[in-house]
Amino acid sequence: MTMHGMRGLSVFISDIRNCQNKEQERLRVDKELGNVRTRFKNEKGLTPYEKKKYVWKMLYIYMLGYDVDFGHMEAVSLISAPKYPEKQVGYIVTSCLLNENHDFLRLAINTVRNDIIGRNETFQCLALTMVGNIGGREFAESLAPDVQKLLLSSSCRPLVRKKAALCLLRLFRKNPDVVNVDGWVDRMAQLLDERDLGVLTSSMSLLVALVSNNHEAYWTCLPKCVKILERLARNQDVPQEYTYYGIPSPWLQVKTMRALQYFPTVEDPNTRRTLFEVLQRILMGTDVVKNVNKNNASHAVLFEALALVMHLDAEKEMMSQCVALLGKFIAVREPNIRYLGLENMTRMLMVTDVQEIIKRHQAQIITSLKDPDISIRRRALDLLYGMCDVTNAKDIVEELLQYLSSADFAMREELSLKAAILAEKFAPDLSWYVDVILQLIDKAGDFISDDIWFRVVQFVTNNDDLQLYAAAKAKEYLDKPAVHETMVKVSAYILGEYSHLLARRLGCSPKEIFSILHEKLPTVSTTTIPILLSAYAKILMHAQPPDQELQNQIWAIFNKYESCIDAEIQQRAVEYFALSRKGAALMDILAEMPKFPERQSSLIKKAEDGEVDTAEQSAIKLRAQQQMSNALVVTDQCPANGAPPAVSVGQLSLVKVPSMVSTEDHNSTDQSLSQENGTLSKVDSQPPSADLLGDLLGPLAIEGPPGATVQSERNAVSGLKGVLDAVDGSAIVPVEEHTNTVQPIGNIAERFHALCLKDSGVLYEDPYIQIGIKAEWRAHHGRLVLFLGNKNTAPLISVQAVILPPAHLKMELSLVPDTIPPRAQVQCPLEIVNLKPSRDVAVLDFSYKFGANMVNAKLRLPAVLNKFLQPIPVSAEEFFPQWRSLSGPPLKLQEVVRGVRPMPLPDMVNLLNSFRLMICPGLDPNPNNLVASTTFYSEHTRAMLCLIRIETDPADRTQLRMTLASGDPTLTFELKEFIKEQLVSIPTAPWAPVPAPPAPPVAQPTPQIPANDPAAVLAGLM
Amino acid sequence: MPVAASAIYFLNLRGDVLINRLYRDDVGGNMVDAFRMHIMQTKELGTCPVRQIGGCSFFYMRISNVYIVIVVSSNANVACAFKFVVEAVALFKSYFGGAFDEDAIRNNFVLIYELLDEIMDFGYPQNLSPEILKLYITQEGVRSPFSSKPSDKPVPNATLQVTGAVGWRREGLVYKKNEVFLDIVESVNLLMSSKGSVLRCDVTGKILMKCFLSGMPDLKLGLNDKIGLEKESQLKSRPAKSGKTIELDDVTFHQCVNLTRFNSEKTVSFVPPDGEFELMKYRITEGVNLPFRVLPTIKELGRTRMEVNVKVKSVFGAKMFALGVVIKIPVPKQTAKTSFQVTSGRAKYNAAIDCLVWKIRKFPGQTEPTLSAEVELISTMTEKKSWTRPPIQMEFQVPMFTASGLRVRFLKVWEKSGYNTVEWVRYITKAGSYEIRC
Repeated sequence: MTMHGMRGLSVFISDIRNCQNKEQERLRVDKELGNVRTRFKNEKGLTPYEKKKYVWKMLYIYMLGYDVDFGHMEAVSLISAPKYPEKQVGYIVTSCLLNENHDFLRLAINTVRNDIIGRNETFQCLALTMVGNIGGREFAESLAPDVQKLLLSSSCRPLVRKKAALCLLRLFRKNPDVVNVDGWVDRMAQLLDERDLGVLTSSMSLLVALVSNNHEAYWTCLPKCVKILERLARNQDVPQEYTYYGIPSPWLQVKTMRALQYFPTVEDPNTRRTLFEVLQRILMGTDVVKNVNKNNASHAVLFEALALVMHLDAEKEMMSQCVALLGKFIAVREPNIRYLGLENMTRMLMVTDVQEIIKRHQAQIITSLKDPDISIRRRALDLLYGMCDVTNAKDIVEELLQYLSSADFAMREELSLKAAILAEKFAPDLSWYVDVILQLIDKAGDFISDDIWFRVVQFVTNNDDLQLYAAAKAKEYLDKPAVHETMVKVSAYILGEYSHLLARRLGCSPKEIFSILHEKLPTVSTTTIPILLSAYAKILMHAQPPDQELQNQIWAIFNKYESCIDAEIQQRAVEYFALSRKGAALMDILAEMPKFPERQSSLIKKAEDGEVDTAEQSAIKLRAQQQMSNALVVTDQCPANGAPPAVSVGQLSLVKVPSMVSTEDHNSTDQSLSQENGTLSKVDSQPPSADLLGDLLGPLAIEGPPGATVQSERNAVSGLKGVLDAVDGSAIVPVEEHTNTVQPIGNIAERFHALCLKDSGVLYEDPYIQIGIKAEWRAHHGRLVLFLGNKNTAPLISVQAVILPPAHLKMELSLVPDTIPPRAQVQCPLEIVNLKPSRDVAVLDFSYKFGANMVNAKLRLPAVLNKFLQPIPVSAEEFFPQWRSLSGPPLKLQEVVRGVRPMPLPDMVNLLNSFRLMICPGLDPNPNNLVASTTFYSEHTRAMLCLIRIETDPADRTQLRMTLASGDPTLTFELKEFIKEQLVSIPTAPWAPVPAPPAPPVAQPTPQIPANDPAAVLAGLM
Repeated sequence: MPVAASAIYFLNLRGDVLINRLYRDDVGGNMVDAFRMHIMQTKELGTCPVRQIGGCSFFYMRISNVYIVIVVSSNANVACAFKFVVEAVALFKSYFGGAFDEDAIRNNFVLIYELLDEIMDFGYPQNLSPEILKLYITQEGVRSPFSSKPSDKPVPNATLQVTGAVGWRREGLVYKKNEVFLDIVESVNLLMSSKGSVLRCDVTGKILMKCFLSGMPDLKLGLNDKIGLEKESQLKSRPAKSGKTIELDDVTFHQCVNLTRFNSEKTVSFVPPDGEFELMKYRITEGVNLPFRVLPTIKELGRTRMEVNVKVKSVFGAKMFALGVVIKIPVPKQTAKTSFQVTSGRAKYNAAIDCLVWKIRKFPGQTEPTLSAEVELISTMTEKKSWTRPPIQMEFQVPMFTASGLRVRFLKVWEKSGYNTVEWVRYITKAGSYEIRC
């Protein structure tokens, strides 16, 4: 620094340093700023020395955190000064005080350019540094060619060329569109031949940026990179100053390997061989030494090499070598190294074939679970979680359970959740699963979320074989002296439902079970008491022959809680008391719980939500999908409306190396299929449901779980459109090339159907946006408001909404803004006019951009036929003349509809009423027939009365005869079809054509539980 | 009784704790770090005296170079807390001999701890009167009752002092010369628009007394305030004098004033404490005599030039004069050069407060000096921010003038020994926040 002689500056700085407090400092600074202002305003002008001094002061004040909003002119003018000290301060202050958008920079461009193309090396360096620091668009436009020239010039010293490379890198990063990189391929290749390691390192940084943008163009650089790597690895021609602790330029090595990772693969066998030799050398040559700096450098190189090995999909031998090396690392005392070893092993799990090799180190990893350092314990837990599969699940879960009792509290919740998930996913048999979860609850009751025990209950309920075992286990745990409340909940539920299975065992009479349960009552909170009451009611029901004493006891309890302050408990007590007096009828009402419809494991969902989406974790997830335990999955019944189980592969795109996704995907599917095949013999009697879109996979369609995986994959790939199409009834999901990485939250089709019946609600939701709808309908006019809500703290850009209206609707969407600000909601009104009757549905083509993700969704708008209906009651006097006057087709149509979704008559009445078809009771003498009327509005038909008569057959609920009459033939037809659509059960997936006969899929439609079924009511209470 | 404090901290400007006392354990000892982090090191310092951080309330006040911070976690009485601080500072000042700053605190640790123990108990304020406390907390530390001889001074009986009828005065005081000093000190707060209309104006005044009187004297004070005069005119059944009567608002008295007699007879009568004390405080909102009128004209000529003309007119009697008049005329932050012409006093530009400071040491009544200045501004990068034109501020002191017009009509001293007393009365008016928009 050329501070010498600037006395004013050093006095000022020492004044500031001597300030006792912030306030004094501020006063001194303000005084100085006033002084500087006066000086700059002086008519006589400043000498270069004075100008330099005051500009330094300005910079110092700016660095202290005060606003300096003047004097930029002086700073910029110093750039053109002839002497180094002035030029230096000019460049430094300009690059600190101004940002790329300042107009003043324009003034400087010419001077900077002169310096860059000039002969003076120091000036060139100053200019390049400043341009690199600011990196504005205008600089890029006017200076990039000169900087490029400088980089390639043979006459320049390496010092300047280094800076030129970095400057260009920065300009390229800021404005990739402005910097012209056409024809740079050859020049980069030429640059990579450079001998000077400094220039090479800077050029390599530039190459990494260029290659990440467009790797295809630069494939000629690949062999050169390998050559550089080879040169470094052999330590040929590496000057002393670039050797760091005996390692030849670790920085360049790391950068070169990073650049290589951007190329999808190395095709040339010679290059590939050389590269692997180098990698081999790095892997072999790296060891843990005493010196920390050396370790840091060599490990940086090593881990980059590991990443490259993983990327290149190296041979198994090399992989196993890597794992062996990491195995050495995790055995080291030094915690940092152990941490890195564990972390990279988790990363290695991305490459599935190393799994077996990693398993060899299982014991060591388990030891790390007991490490004093919590971050290491967490890594070890992650790794164990990731490496778990069917073969070692038992060991690992047991190890986790054992560790649970000694783990610190910060980790217990995560630990128990992970143990539960692993147990669920990889359970070799279900009784083991129940054992594990009960143990888990026993050991870490406080950390068990409700989801975990709900899941056990689901499995026990859905598996008849398991019930006896679970009941016995539950009783065993309850017999222990101190029981956690969660355990009481699970046991009460299980014993309530299934203790009668135990009845013949010793000490398991209803009375004894009751007394065991009742012992716990005083110790539990109000959330558990309802469950206990349900259990009592069930025990009472199962006590055959009725036990008077038990009954009195239980009644006394119900009586006591009838006046409980908690509404839930009170209601149960009252209801159970009343029910239990019904005697034998009790049996029907308190029947065993129906099986649960299978849904996505809330645990796995929770784990997904909770995890940060880092590369390794998504890799773990990927593997998690590949290996599902068939013990659990096959018993899951896929319901007719089941959401695809398991998780989506959409997260895959977050894996660090994008080019691997597609191959990985197929591998995973194949592998999981083969695994499932291998264990198929275990499959129990329940065949998989036909709901899966398994037919897409042809002969493999019979396997339930992989099909499910495939389905979710497909959904992820085809995005929203796929879902839409599937709902429309066609199972052939168009597989589009682009991947929509954003998954909608909730089922779009369900949301649409709900909105068909009501006027406001959510139409679409994904992690970034929520689209809500509010509609008003008046005759044939409608007004629909779209609420576009940005859920993020970043704006959504390129928002577009286009309405694709069908012919019968006239729709006008008001302007949709291009950008939705963070956390803001935008309203877009949509005017709708119904021209004529039709069942076609309008589609909203909605797209937006979040970060780099382009999201596109095609959403059906709930402007459907029934919205233009107005229910109207008609009397018999009005009805019959009308009915008779509209005779015969096309005004009156009759059709026998088969395959109707069977439902009781009241349900059908509700359904029709919900579609604004007013049921007029009493018009038809036959109680099994329904007569309805409504008015339809459209511009073409105006108000038009429609009359409907539905004749049902009490013997066969799946068929009915429907007669429709209105004054307009199209309306009659469309309305008839519309009602038919609603009544007929549309299979959510078609029957799979099965080529191989051994296990023909049998549809297992979920038992439709009517809302008034008492069992369902009870299920709802649970 | 309202809680006033859970802890009290004395910090210097850097945020170091000089001394602290925890009265309750409901606040952590590290709460002061939160204060330092979230209040002292942010720009909000000084904007709001009450801040809440993490469930605790911080009341703070700056006295010279010391921050006094009160921390409470309960819903405390803020006014009580601040009153406590003010009183405590007055107490410390009387112990330290006038100065209260960082050095004074450093030099008197033991004494301050002793006082802090005494003046607050479990967060409840106790007796803060210096006269009483000085009886048993002495600079010399604790005196043992066995070692001390029965001195000429009677051993003070603290209990009697606090609970007795005249808790604020010791018996048996003897002075050779019996003197009473009475000062009426008023400060004028004003906010005037640029057009010259008064937007807000009030006077807060206090009557300070210093008594050197023997025995147990009974004093009676008569002012030209409305209530007292009306009462008098009623009693003497003659019309009130044509002279101006002053209506006092919000009058508060020292505890020595006999309120029953004030309520029944409307006279201020009291047995004064020994030494200095504040007899009463009052406020006046109507009929204020403003000592100065300010007529500013500030013209912005383009982006880089300003013309400032300020005329100040003194409207009190020509025989009187104001002292220490300072007029601060704000200018934009980017002021670079200034040139002045003043008819009296001196003016200069102070960059630290962004003001033109015009000082007139002696300002006679009925005169109107003017200042005209040219200000040159430097051009900045952020042009769009227009200057907010803060108000002109004024400081002054006018002796023998009361902005309220309050006068002492009589001050009578009656003691059973019937000695003669000398009474001294002074008036002074100061500027409070005297602001004129421009």
